[in-house]
Amino acid sequence: MTNHYIDFRNADYILIIGANPAENHPISFKWITEAISRGAKVINVDPRFTRTSSKAHVYARIRSGTDIAFIGGMIYWVIQDMEAHPENYNMDYVVNYTNAALIVNSGIKLPNDIGQNGVFSGFNPSTNKYDKATWQYGDITTPSTDTTLQDPYCVFQLMKRHYSRYTLDKVSQITGCPKDQIEAIYREFAKSGAKDKAGTILYAMGATQHTYGSQNIRAYSILQSLLSNMGIAGGGINALRGTSNVQGSTDQALLWQYLPGYLPVPVDTDTDLDTFMKRAKGAPATPKGLVWDKSVHWKGNYDKYIVSLLKAWYGDNATKDNSFCFDYLPKAKTGANYSHIALMDAIGKGTIEGLWIWGQNPAAGGPNSNGARTALANLKWLVMADLWLNETAEFWRRPGVNPADIQTEIIVLPVAGSYEKEGSISNSGRWVQWRYKAVDPPGEAMPDLEVMNMVMEKLKELYEADTSAPNREAITKLAWDYGEEITSDNVAKEMNGYDLTTGKLAASFIATLKNDGTTSSGNWLHCGQYPEEGKNLAKRRDPVDVSLNKIGLYSNWAWSWPFNRRIIYSRASIDFDGNPWDSKRPVLQWDAANKKWLGDVVDGGGEPINIAAKGDKRGPLIMNNDGVANMWGRSLADGPLPEVYEPWESPITNLMSGQQIDPVAYISTYMNERGTVDKYPYVGTTYRCTDHWQTGIMTRNLPWLVELTPNMYVEIGEDLANNLGIVKGDKVKVSSARGDIEAVAVVTRRFQAIQVNGTTIHHVGVLWHWGYSGLAKGDSGNILTPNVGDANTTIPESKTFLCNVTKV
Amino acid sequence: MQEVERYRKRAIVQHWLIVLCSLLLAITGLFLFVHWFGPAAWGGTSRIVHRVAAVGFVAIPVIYMILNPKSSLEWIKEAFTWGKADLGWAKSAPTYYFGFDIIPMPPQERSNTGQKMWMVVVITMSIVLVVSGGIMWFGKGLVQTGVFQWSVFAHDAAFVIAGAMFIVHVALGAFHPRFSEALRSMITGKVSVHYAKDHHGKWYDRISGGKAE
Amino acid sequence: MADKAILFDATKCTACRGCQVACKSWNEREAVQTTCRGTVENPPDLSTQTWLKMEFREVGNNGDLRWLFNRRSCMHCTEAGCVKVCPTGALFYHPSGFVSYDKHKCTGCGYCSQFCPFDVPRLNTNRVTGKGVMDKCTACTTSGLDRIDNGFQPACVKTCPTGALTYGDRQELVATGRDRIQQLIVQGRTNAYLYGEKEVGGTHVLYVLDDSPSVYGIVENPEVPVAATAWQDILKPIGYAAAGLAALGLLLNVMVARAKLLSKEKGGK
Repeated sequence: MTNHYIDFRNADYILIIGANPAENHPISFKWITEAISRGAKVINVDPRFTRTSSKAHVYARIRSGTDIAFIGGMIYWVIQDMEAHPENYNMDYVVNYTNAALIVNSGIKLPNDIGQNGVFSGFNPSTNKYDKATWQYGDITTPSTDTTLQDPYCVFQLMKRHYSRYTLDKVSQITGCPKDQIEAIYREFAKSGAKDKAGTILYAMGATQHTYGSQNIRAYSILQSLLSNMGIAGGGINALRGTSNVQGSTDQALLWQYLPGYLPVPVDTDTDLDTFMKRAKGAPATPKGLVWDKSVHWKGNYDKYIVSLLKAWYGDNATKDNSFCFDYLPKAKTGANYSHIALMDAIGKGTIEGLWIWGQNPAAGGPNSNGARTALANLKWLVMADLWLNETAEFWRRPGVNPADIQTEIIVLPVAGSYEKEGSISNSGRWVQWRYKAVDPPGEAMPDLEVMNMVMEKLKELYEADTSAPNREAITKLAWDYGEEITSDNVAKEMNGYDLTTGKLAASFIATLKNDGTTSSGNWLHCGQYPEEGKNLAKRRDPVDVSLNKIGLYSNWAWSWPFNRRIIYSRASIDFDGNPWDSKRPVLQWDAANKKWLGDVVDGGGEPINIAAKGDKRGPLIMNNDGVANMWGRSLADGPLPEVYEPWESPITNLMSGQQIDPVAYISTYMNERGTVDKYPYVGTTYRCTDHWQTGIMTRNLPWLVELTPNMYVEIGEDLANNLGIVKGDKVKVSSARGDIEAVAVVTRRFQAIQVNGTTIHHVGVLWHWGYSGLAKGDSGNILTPNVGDANTTIPESKTFLCNVTKV
Repeated sequence: MQEVERYRKRAIVQHWLIVLCSLLLAITGLFLFVHWFGPAAWGGTSRIVHRVAAVGFVAIPVIYMILNPKSSLEWIKEAFTWGKADLGWAKSAPTYYFGFDIIPMPPQERSNTGQKMWMVVVITMSIVLVVSGGIMWFGKGLVQTGVFQWSVFAHDAAFVIAGAMFIVHVALGAFHPRFSEALRSMITGKVSVHYAKDHHGKWYDRISGGKAE
Repeated sequence: MADKAILFDATKCTACRGCQVACKSWNEREAVQTTCRGTVENPPDLSTQTWLKMEFREVGNNGDLRWLFNRRSCMHCTEAGCVKVCPTGALFYHPSGFVSYDKHKCTGCGYCSQFCPFDVPRLNTNRVTGKGVMDKCTACTTSGLDRIDNGFQPACVKTCPTGALTYGDRQELVATGRDRIQQLIVQGRTNAYLYGEKEVGGTHVLYVLDDSPSVYGIVENPEVPVAATAWQDILKPIGYAAAGLAALGLLLNVMVARAKLLSKEKGGK
């Protein structure tokens, strides 16, 4: 999240798209409710009428997977309205704080240019990859700008040209949403573009779980940048992260492509530390002709964080002479994909011998459950650390399988639940909140941390003894010195980091961390959380709101990264004099008398643009090398701008161009049958209910929750149910090209047929919390989902596939 | 002293068994009727006693009626046979029961008018109590709440009526000096001929003239 | 203690059912066996183990579809039918005004369940033996689990994330509710109604509804059953009078008759 949960109450307009907070982030609705009682308007866009929709002022139904059409249409509508009525928008912001004015490489070709056929310039159809050279600015180090936004190659005009195809008619045609509803929403949300209005966008898996999920999010950020909603209170792009610690897990690099703190993972072409750090740092690009002239380019500090990370890992063994043990780190193969789908593919193809799983359940939680379950049998060994036996731990004795046929050795390690151990949890707002142990774990269950410590100690011992083991020093040289007593407090301090010359805890990544090996930090984002012995700021619980105008920053409650910033990109919330655009909701305020910033923690220090010296007028978006919000993207795998593509399994051909699917989407070849609309006429989509969590292994073992929602069910519209002769409570079979499941039919008015270009489209809603393990059993929804992933993140396309429904 | 039999042994047994059941029913019912006695009903044990006694209250007369259909039918017929003679009782009763003989009490049948009134109350109120009680016992959720509600009302109303009359029955049968042999007749089954002639003249004439029972 | 109440604002409820589970947790209730009957609602009814449940209603269709959520539990009436008919004093009015309940005193007669205008009290009665005990929401005033007397909010209120449930002085909540209804009417919800302000003497669970109660499945114009009044307020006094009169009358009668017959004997025939 760019903002935080409590900040929702500051919004005038809340667009909830690809998310269902009332049901899946119920506590967050406290703040949405508060916003409503302050007069905010809630707009909800979803293929299904949900409990969120029931509380929204405006609800619009779109076909699953058509967010880019919908938002693209809004972008075009706003661009046109902006040209006609610039006074309704913050043009200073758009021109100087976004890359609207920057000039792009003249070799750029957009999807509807002649010969492009739905793809951008630089596409190589034999590799299915883009060469992004033509997506860069014409001048890479000092991009030219046109502050009048007229140059045909400036970002603004390129966006206008690209989205001019996204007319109301076209958007209505693709989404199935009536034109008048679409326009009403565009008009309403666009009002948040005014200087004194704030609009926020809340999204979740409904937006990300598509083959073009990343582009969905990009569409929101383009919109929010045009509407000057980035960096302000009540604005931003707010991902509702998974309960309760998905944010924390990605911060600690659970995703394969990162090192802790979202540093890039080294690739085989990073032949040495300097090459790696150069790549990680990138180089600033300072636009010419805007009101500011210095790109802070915070990533230029990445060398400090990389070296500090290596020092945290390898301690005294990491020296300047040995590149701080950089060579020990495994390097990803160029172009390889190590994400979940690719991992299951590799296991299925027999290239992986052993798998260690901490609290995950691929046999039910990832796409294509039948494929995953079949694949697991190829493993020689499998270690499961979890609270209960789940479908993955029991894949070898699942219904329909003879355990004698499976040779995998499975070791189950019972581990403690989150209330049975001490540590921190990071919420979607990046707040790191320390939590305490409430009860002892049962039986032999231990906190994961203690298990890891035991395992690592043993590994070290084994690697010390075996001098022929490959890359053994990567383990033996680790500064793993917890002894018998590893505590989360110790680890928190390590993550914060130390000034190794004094042995004192690091005060902040700005003040303390260096690239010369004199500092350590396990995760630069957490540097500053534990600045002194006994001062773990994540433990703070001061409920007093000390922020300017009480905008609810609660800066003394817990600690947020980075450096307790509550709203990031907030340098965009002030004008060139350092005064907030919106005096009602000031995030930052320059105090001229005392020459300091009031309010939230300011990005990148320095003074306001008009006050700072020439050459030191800082661009607001310090994490981008060009200092501005990148509406035009230069680095995503599948395009500089979001473009309408159909999901891998779609009921129609792409109405926007001749390119049917995202050209860079990850398509697995392992047990991945593709369905067609003649056999599978309905659009299936998966989602969660409030009462169960993920694959249900925690919730399906709790009687009170099983009482609320006892059986696997699917939701079918009344109209479709009537056609099929299904009444509520009937048992139905839902099938896709990957497999079929049985479930109870919940017949509802919340799904209704959509008309898309003359075709009637029905959605079928599939929950995925069930499996053959646990107290309450049922079929797994992910048996149906396709083994395909987003072009950038490889997140599975769980939200749109084709299926069929029959009465059992 | 010469005696005449008024009640057979089996009738006496039935009477006292029903008395036992009725007392249990009345007392446990009273626990629910009188709020001050409520604590006696805590935990629900008194309600179990009530139900066990209720089973007895129904079973005993039913069994008796099956085994003695002729006399049972006669008893019921007797309760509902009313005529001019009862008017005569009514004229004499107000002073007679206070010990005066201002208006002579006409000769009574086997059961005098007052006793017949009690029999009618017993029969009708028992039916009401059993039917309403059955609804209250078995009918929760099966009958409409309105039916249940008025069943409770009927049950308590019948209890009030029967209870009031019960006080009369006990006072007159056990304590009233005019009916000194009444209680004895329900223990030994017999009364003296003198008492029989005096209190149930019509009946005595009939049986002494006809066959003794 | 001032008169307290719970205010349920249906327009703020997202039916997360945290209240439903918090109630079970605090009051040590068990989960009941359920099956999916084709809706998201479960359990299907209140029971001795389920004192509070959320109801889901899809109203309207297409463009005017609404999904309405209702909180179903004891209404804590000021004129409570259940208290009126409870023979043992197990049901009583807590100083806060909530209808509280002492399980130890329950005799299992089930009168409360039949005289409640909202059909709330539930018993687990054995149909053969008649043995049973009642259970219902006590607004967390159950002795030993009393949150109210200890200055806490009821468990359901405490857990509610959106503030759909609030707890406080009834007078204040009525005022809050009235304001909210005005707001809703201004916003076009012309049937908005504050339920429980006056019904059955005023209930201690108030409802802000954006539509008429029947749309939410709530009893309109609830009344304490006539039979309860006839029984408790008329029949019972008559019963005491009848018994008293009979006893007294017969005592007098027997005494007079005895005296008369004694004097007759003494004075010859």
